[in-house]
Amino acid sequence: MKRLVSSVLSIGKARTLSDRFESEMLALLPRLRRFAAGLARDPARADDLCQMTVERALRSRDQWQAGTRMDSWMYRIMRNLWIDETRAASRRGQTFVDEEAGAAVGADGGQEARAMLTDVDRAMARLPDDQREAVLLVMVEGWSYKEAADIVGCPVGTLNSRLVRGRDALLALLGEAA
Amino acid sequence: MTITPELIAAYADGELEGAERDRVEQALAQDPALARQVEAHRALKARLSAHFAPILDAPLPEALTRAVRAQPEAEVLSLDAARKARAASASSGTRSRWAWGAGAALAASLALAVVLNRPAPSGGPGYADGQLAAALDTQLSGTSAAGAPVRVMLSFANAKGDFCRGYSGQAGAGIACRDARGWRLEKAFGGSAGEEGVYRQAGSTDPRLMAAVQDMASGPALDADAEKAAIARHWKR
Repeated sequence: MKRLVSSVLSIGKARTLSDRFESEMLALLPRLRRFAAGLARDPARADDLCQMTVERALRSRDQWQAGTRMDSWMYRIMRNLWIDETRAASRRGQTFVDEEAGAAVGADGGQEARAMLTDVDRAMARLPDDQREAVLLVMVEGWSYKEAADIVGCPVGTLNSRLVRGRDALLALLGEAA
Repeated sequence: MTITPELIAAYADGELEGAERDRVEQALAQDPALARQVEAHRALKARLSAHFAPILDAPLPEALTRAVRAQPEAEVLSLDAARKARAASASSGTRSRWAWGAGAALAASLALAVVLNRPAPSGGPGYADGQLAAALDTQLSGTSAAGAPVRVMLSFANAKGDFCRGYSGQAGAGIACRDARGWRLEKAFGGSAGEEGVYRQAGSTDPRLMAAVQDMASGPALDADAEKAAIARHWKR
């Protein structure tokens, strides 16, 4: 019912194409939220990042070619927005997520999770940004090295070595049992 | 050849093929320490996946799904702005596309509404006349000002293929469909808003109207271009 209302009442150009674009994007939201949670390490900030990503993607939809993968396109948008945001934040002299106080993102992703910071959260928070995104893209999001390198915009070899350094750091922090 | 940590990780991630993979597998068979590295890598991957997996099943924030269905009006420049937008839309509750559609987004098309006062012939009893008929003939959906006598909300085709339009005005909201005689009044919802002489605000469209539209519509709402084309053809199908 709700879906039908929005479908009937929506106004825009090329309705059919647009609906396909929207439904594909809707289907991507859970994965984008997961990636955002890994990048932002705080549920509220992660949802803000998701919101920005969706809005940017909708505005830039002309740049997306129908028939090409929407998921990697949107991952790239999110990753770049996050980089911009962290750079702007460091210029402002702000640190959003303190390494020790960084909020949890697992469990139910809600308020309860905030209180219990897991070992994984703490370990991820200690990684340099470039290693963390490599770990997230390959080990959590399941991208191939080449796809992950495309999203980040770096050579595959660079992605691979960041991944190894990130992985080794995580193993050291989490213990051999991982 | 040396088996580097990069090669081990790539092997564990299934990135190696052919001769390269064979070499790593040979080395693994001979060196338990390397085999343990592969195991550690895979165990870490499993642990990270499990850690983030619940987010995939968590309910999506409504603000997010709404954003996908409604084009934003302004660039969000920072996370702070995004958070404010999220808070604002969360508090406004049922903000729907109506607010957007009836807003300024299509104001550029207002020129078409200038002919609104042209007298329109009536098809007789049960048909729209006067201001209502004129608005149904010429107004683009969502372009009228909040205080306009008649505001056309949307256009759609019914099961017969006739064009129908949902409107809201002083005497209440309704739906009219175009046939050979004119705009046949299909549904009317007299509203207290009309009786009190107070106009409903954009965004607070009668839910009965929306429900009726759903029952009657055979497809999605016409977009602005399709409406312009229909206006040019005098709503003949």
